[in-house]
Amino acid sequence: MTPSPLALIAELTHRCPLRCVYCSNPLQLQSSTEELDTETWLRVFQEAADLGMLQVDLTGGEPLARSDLEQLVAGARQAKLYVNLITSGIGLNESFLDCLVRAGLDHLQLSFQDVNQQAADEIAGARVHARKLALVPLVRGRNIALTVNMVVHRRNLDRLEEMIALAEELGAQRLEIANVQYYGWALANRDALLPTRAQLDRSIATIKAAQERLRGQMRIDFVVPDYYATFPKACMGGWGRKMMLIDPSGRALPCHAAGMIPDLHFENVRERSLPWIWRDSEAFQKFRGEEWMPDPCRSCDRRGQDFGGCRCQALLIAGDAAATDPVCSLAPSRYLIDAEVTRVNARTEQPAPKVEKYPPFTYRVHAR
Amino acid sequence: MSAVSMESRPRLAPGCRLGGSDGNQPVLLMPEGALRLNDTGMKITQLCTGDLSLSEIVDRLVVDVNAPDRKKIEQDTMNFVTRLHEKRVVDF
Repeated sequence: MTPSPLALIAELTHRCPLRCVYCSNPLQLQSSTEELDTETWLRVFQEAADLGMLQVDLTGGEPLARSDLEQLVAGARQAKLYVNLITSGIGLNESFLDCLVRAGLDHLQLSFQDVNQQAADEIAGARVHARKLALVPLVRGRNIALTVNMVVHRRNLDRLEEMIALAEELGAQRLEIANVQYYGWALANRDALLPTRAQLDRSIATIKAAQERLRGQMRIDFVVPDYYATFPKACMGGWGRKMMLIDPSGRALPCHAAGMIPDLHFENVRERSLPWIWRDSEAFQKFRGEEWMPDPCRSCDRRGQDFGGCRCQALLIAGDAAATDPVCSLAPSRYLIDAEVTRVNARTEQPAPKVEKYPPFTYRVHAR
Repeated sequence: MSAVSMESRPRLAPGCRLGGSDGNQPVLLMPEGALRLNDTGMKITQLCTGDLSLSEIVDRLVVDVNAPDRKKIEQDTMNFVTRLHEKRVVDF
């Protein structure tokens, strides 16, 4: 039986004023002329709701770059979806926020790159930190939920306590601390971003203590770096099981990075309906269920929990999208992850040096 | 954190609301998540408006389901609301 999906991830645009060194968008961005029009998005939202989806994540790029965002929020809400806006906040002001809230926005997730302004702006490749901070009081005065999102990595993980304190001070309902996942641009900067084991151990202790102390006041969700895990993450809750992502040009993907998997054809919502794509398209069936699984997944007790892990990571590291996720301790290709982890940890034997020599970042260059 | 008591007046937090299309099981929608509700969960959630204390909510439920055991309803309601409070779905 085909599983029923829960959430639609709507990548409205690849345009963005930031160029974060761990950007999860594909290396090759789509231009604004390729973007879906308003009408098509509104149809997609209705089809998503009809298919039983409950949530939509309006994301990008920077979704605020869409001039029809207010209409899209209203359309999604009219379709009875819960409307999340995943944003850097750049492009938002008080009157625009009012429009979005009136249109039916439920939840705003605001990303921060660090607590330290200089470090944050360096990661974003743009001077934006102070402008983000100024937005928070505007959001808090309105009847929508606020999540503060912090992406963590080697360069900022030692400031975790300050990050938690900032989110507390800002009055966020929810704090999401997400370790960088190594795809796309993040993979290009992996050397500079992968934390050490000692950093990770300290961060886990910090998170636990904060979750205990802030229970009922601020909810803290923590995404661990899977390179240090024993078993893989249930990527997207399993391929074609819970989520569907639509990219700016209308291609329907089972996850953010799936577009790079060779020889897999992705349908476009301009030509096909969402229910058909979800149930019948080749791409969504390819790694759904257990038929495709190699050993050791096929006979593993955990196959119903992690669904074989991440197909894109298998492709990037092991060279085969149908391989066991290389981060799994049982995967034949785990030695490739171990080698990277060993290398990163050997580089800093000294405990938390004050001035560490980091490899330089590689930035995305946006077409204008 | 504020401890939950029978005098607490729970209300749904900003960005949390009841949803679900017609005919489907009701759901409590929240940031990046949803909780499917049974009949009792639905009734409690509907009463989380900030106007009623937990004790008054229990009064209504006892009448509503014609329950002989108030203690049990009190316990269940307290657990449910505490769980939602920890997720920051219900505030006081």
